[in-house]
Amino acid sequence: MQEWANQLCENRQFGSKMTDSKYFTTTKKGEIFELKAELNSDKKEKKKEAVKKVIASMTVGKDVSALFPDVVNCMQTDNLELKKLVYLYLMNYAKSQPDMAIMAVNTFVKDCEDPNPLIRALAVRTMGCIRVDKITEYLCEPLRKCLKDEDPYVRKTAAVCVAKLHDINAQLVEDQGFLDTLKDLISDSNPMVVANAVAALSEIAESHPNSNLLDLNPQTINKLLTALNECTEWGQIFILDCLANYTPRDDRESQSICERVTPRLSHANSAVVLSAVKVLMKFMEMLPKDLDYYGTLLKKLAPPLVTLLSAEPELQYVALRNINLIVQRRPEILKHEMKVFFVKYNDPIYVKLEKLDIMIRLASQANIAQVLAELKEYATEVDVDFVRKAVRAIGRCAIKVEQSAERCVSTLLDLIQTKVNYVVQEAIVVIKDIFRKYPNKYESVIATLCENLDSLDEPEARAAMIWIVGEYAERIDNADELLESFLEGFHDESTQVQLQLLTAIVKLFLKKPTETQELVQQVLSLATQDSDNPDLRDRGYIYWRLLSTDPVAAKEVVLAEKPLISEETDLIEPTLLEELICHIGTLASVYHKPPSAFVEGSRGVQHKRLPGSAGSGESVESPDTGSAAGVSDAPPAVIPSQGDLLGDLLNLDLAPPATTTGPPPPTSSGMQMGAMDLLGGGLDSLLGGDLGGSPAMGAGFGAPPAGMPASFNAPVSGGLDDLFDLGGGVGMPSGAYSPPKSIWLPAMKAKGLEISGTFARRAGVVQMEMTLTNKAMSVMTDFAIQFNRNSFGLAPAGPLQVLTPVSPNQSIEVALPLNTVGPVMKMEPLNNLQVAVKNNIDVFYFSCQYPISMLFVEDGKMERQVFLATWKDIPNDNESQFQIKDCHLSSDAASSKLQGSNIFTIAKRTVDGQDMLYQSTKLTNGIWVLAELRVQAGNPNYTVSLKCRAPEVAQCVFQSYEAVLKN
Amino acid sequence: MISQVFILSSKGDHLIYKDFRGESGSDAVGVFYEKVTALTGDQPPVVMSHKDLHFVHVRQGGLYWVATTTADSSPFTIIEFLNRLAALVKDYCGSLSEKSVQMNFALIYELLDEVVDYGYIQTTSSDVLKNFIQTEAVSSRPFSLFDLSNVGLVQKQLSRRLGFFSFQGGKSEIFVDVIERMSVVIGSNGMLMKADVEGEIRVKCYLPNCSEMRIGLNEEFSIGKSQLRGYGAAVRVDEVSFHQMVRLDEFDSHRILRLCPSQGEQTVMQYQLSDDLPSAPPFRLFPTIERDSGGRLLMYLKLRCDLPPKRFSTFHNLSSPDQSAELKPQSRAVVWKIPRFTGGTQLSALFKLEVPGLSSASLLEVGPVGLSFELPKLTATGVQIRFLRLSPVQPGPSQRWVRYVTHSDSYTIRI
Repeated sequence: MQEWANQLCENRQFGSKMTDSKYFTTTKKGEIFELKAELNSDKKEKKKEAVKKVIASMTVGKDVSALFPDVVNCMQTDNLELKKLVYLYLMNYAKSQPDMAIMAVNTFVKDCEDPNPLIRALAVRTMGCIRVDKITEYLCEPLRKCLKDEDPYVRKTAAVCVAKLHDINAQLVEDQGFLDTLKDLISDSNPMVVANAVAALSEIAESHPNSNLLDLNPQTINKLLTALNECTEWGQIFILDCLANYTPRDDRESQSICERVTPRLSHANSAVVLSAVKVLMKFMEMLPKDLDYYGTLLKKLAPPLVTLLSAEPELQYVALRNINLIVQRRPEILKHEMKVFFVKYNDPIYVKLEKLDIMIRLASQANIAQVLAELKEYATEVDVDFVRKAVRAIGRCAIKVEQSAERCVSTLLDLIQTKVNYVVQEAIVVIKDIFRKYPNKYESVIATLCENLDSLDEPEARAAMIWIVGEYAERIDNADELLESFLEGFHDESTQVQLQLLTAIVKLFLKKPTETQELVQQVLSLATQDSDNPDLRDRGYIYWRLLSTDPVAAKEVVLAEKPLISEETDLIEPTLLEELICHIGTLASVYHKPPSAFVEGSRGVQHKRLPGSAGSGESVESPDTGSAAGVSDAPPAVIPSQGDLLGDLLNLDLAPPATTTGPPPPTSSGMQMGAMDLLGGGLDSLLGGDLGGSPAMGAGFGAPPAGMPASFNAPVSGGLDDLFDLGGGVGMPSGAYSPPKSIWLPAMKAKGLEISGTFARRAGVVQMEMTLTNKAMSVMTDFAIQFNRNSFGLAPAGPLQVLTPVSPNQSIEVALPLNTVGPVMKMEPLNNLQVAVKNNIDVFYFSCQYPISMLFVEDGKMERQVFLATWKDIPNDNESQFQIKDCHLSSDAASSKLQGSNIFTIAKRTVDGQDMLYQSTKLTNGIWVLAELRVQAGNPNYTVSLKCRAPEVAQCVFQSYEAVLKN
Repeated sequence: MISQVFILSSKGDHLIYKDFRGESGSDAVGVFYEKVTALTGDQPPVVMSHKDLHFVHVRQGGLYWVATTTADSSPFTIIEFLNRLAALVKDYCGSLSEKSVQMNFALIYELLDEVVDYGYIQTTSSDVLKNFIQTEAVSSRPFSLFDLSNVGLVQKQLSRRLGFFSFQGGKSEIFVDVIERMSVVIGSNGMLMKADVEGEIRVKCYLPNCSEMRIGLNEEFSIGKSQLRGYGAAVRVDEVSFHQMVRLDEFDSHRILRLCPSQGEQTVMQYQLSDDLPSAPPFRLFPTIERDSGGRLLMYLKLRCDLPPKRFSTFHNLSSPDQSAELKPQSRAVVWKIPRFTGGTQLSALFKLEVPGLSSASLLEVGPVGLSFELPKLTATGVQIRFLRLSPVQPGPSQRWVRYVTHSDSYTIRI
């Protein structure tokens, strides 16, 4: 039938040439002129056709804004179709032509008085969509009338218009009292009007979190529940979402709301069902568990959730992501429905994987046999990814359901028998985890595993196998042979395998020291001398030193008892889960992230962060590492030598006369370039990690580290220095929040100019406060200052204001406001600042270090929820712990002192007489630092743990903590 | 809240673009197309994000129907909405294709204006929409069958109604379809491990003035595990959900659905049944898999259809001469096609496969057998339409069709 219709359409097209598709035909030159002429034609028909052509061009992305006046001229018409088309055009282009848009206002105002309600609604709807500030003032009167219109269609349109207007000019809406009118509409007789008013109010309320706009009380709730039964399915969603924000006074009210919401569960629209589930999940929290109704409600929730799985795959996926949350919160709802999560062979892979995840969450002693049989079947499917996940799932079952572990292991062994390469490898990886969970229980299978040694070609599987061999070396007779065979191709292995091999051989050595001395020496020299991977080298050195100084300690470290792993590791953290449950059915529940992490308003958390794990160590070629002792002699955290400093500053526009510079000239240009590359490379990798989207910053900085001269003696401390000098700290002025002035540039180095200074943060502005003293014989004038690129982009916000000449033996005080929008380059130490000061005599260079606390911004207080989520989200590797000694403040005093430096306490908890303060602070470049400060009453030593996506800043932040607390 | 809606052809051409909230630029369209074409098969395509913008899309009629949002909105709402929008466009334009959307862009813009305001979905009911578009009738040219622009106002009023359904050729017809999908898993030991049925009753209405219709289901239709009705074998389902417009006042007592059907197509009732089929599963397979002396894999498959013979009495070709089989090396599968299969009969096939490096362990690797089929005139649950009454009584010739069909959704037999 449809084909027939199509054909007919085509025929018509040839016959009448009146169908719309012809508007899309290609256009030639001068088309705009043609259209202009047609738009100004006297014939209505021609006008309409012309406007249609204009809109067709607009749709495909052509710029037809030049026709604005001509199109607006067509607006005054009684032809509704033409009017709608013109309005469509207006909405698109009014913003770019605000002055012209005013021309249309009169017609709008007139249309709002039209006897036809459709025209009134159309006018008020369109006016709201023209996002031009000037129009808004003309909109108020018509809108006020329309809000009280007799026709519900106009009222519902006007309700939405209030939200539109609020978005353009919130103040105006409040001043005009539209919010009160909107509130009145909640009691409107027409359910559609109620729904739109609720939707508009909900949105407006979001931008005023504390206003009591949606004054939800039992009376309004009752009105909403009544409207719920009558309005359209989409209106029901608005109302249910609004209900979810209400907190009932007691369990009885909660139950009565639940009772009235429950019928929505059988709605055909899955969005309505999910919104209802959200309300019920939330209100259920208030019901006592022994209540009969509680049990009834639990039973009622299962069928609609199961029903969602019969929808198309897209909806199924979204539903499964939500069910995943629900089963974590209330597994009892779906505990009997395991079978619906069994995969179908024609499910898309992303649905299969989600189902697998839920199956494991629902697995219990009661159904484990069924689940295992199912998983074993999946392991024979064609799709490799799915098979791998299925094998992994078997391992997770073993860890989750203790009674089933044996069964799982035997299932895995069956699978290994198939000799299918990827199945075997995946099985070995999970068996490693099972060993971690149940040590000394299933070693009998090791022999079988060893048979498959040769077929392992994936790093993860090889690493897992090596771990097993090392861990159980004393029970494997030929462990040394096995490990030796891996050692042959050591350099071709991935880092993961190399690290694991190193550890395994050391374990073996500690267990069987007599036979394996040669082997361990071999691996240590491979790791420390022939490898350029800092992680591997560091670990090699640690083992080496441990073994050579104190074998007993080595044994304690390497063969220490490992904590058992548990299935909890893959659960969502409870606080986050609670938040996500409140967002059932929304994007948050699909991403499994709190909305603050991806919705505008909290962008700082998501986008503005420095990378974490990609530390400077990896890309920095460290100095010749012949012996560990030699390296530890290297000076800790050096300030770049004068030569480099000069090299960098030469690139600035100060243009000093090269011959008269005080400091020694650069030793060789090659070295200079090396320094640039080194720093640039570090920054590149730093930026490349998480920042991703903004390569513009990284792009400017030199060649990649590969091009670096190998013999270059880097002034930046390599990974090893950090390792051996952890306690050493960096030479940072340990002052207070605003440390006392110290001499930055001694007079003898600067032809009589002495500069001492400090940094301070005053009213949100970072200031560099300096005392310039003239110790020379002549007057100094023409001061100027410039900074080299630095870690946080500090730059002078204005010129150095030294208005009068400085006569001999005179001192003047200068405060230079700074901003943080200058060019960025990672410095070592991070808070190092290289400065050039010029006067009438010469240009002088010095470097100084600023306390990082002056970069803590005033809005660094994180939301509690965000804090929890972020804390969890940052990997533990990024956590660093420090001790603050001899501090005699109470936790409250400490908290308020830190607050003065923009370190905000978000929560406080007391456990066993120990106060835990959870604090957040934000740096000017958007890096968040989260901290946990532990204060034990009577103990002057505090412990502070810092977590940050950019672990590099931890040391500096800690210094600031110490400085602030001790002064 | 929906920020933008756009429709793209499969090649990425912009067919419709509408921005409701002015939050994001029109370059979103390009970004979306880039993202969606770069997706690999195993990534969930449902929600994609770019900076602060989140894309939700469905594919219908070979077109991308996309909505964007910047807030934490509900993807369910948006997916449901996009599906409804596609259905509406189909109802209005007669079919879904690049061409039909292009031909009707002005109409679709007008629809969008009514359906969504400032990102809030207003209504998707064709009945309600029809009212608005009726008053604004001048532009309601559903698919330009009749060019209304050059006829007088009076004629417009007359022909407007015709426009809506006249692509049915002016015939007044109503279709009630009972469609069921079966998911079955039969274990390697022949045990029925899982059997689910998802069913729906769909009404396609092309009647000009039908104010109410009543659909009677089997009297013994029962919901849930405990409830049993009638004397004969109960027709049982686990869970039922209804379209909003269905009135259920006669459902409890007489199993009658009352509704005022809108023009076009809608699903009035959905139901599920799991693990308790009233009859045996329709197909059984008896496989034998072994290795022959020449190192080949032998698969001997015997397939039996357990439906009552009379069901398919129209098919007489017992030997099914037009069967075919094909090896698909890419998906490592053998496909055996059987055009017709009569109830109560059985078919067998022997496949010999040369598999390099075949070992006894490889036999374990032979995966499950999946069946896909369509059973006309049959419902697995036994749901039947007892009667279909229209009021007021239709003048003139009107045609009513009640059709039953059961599809396989995922019918798996393990080896």
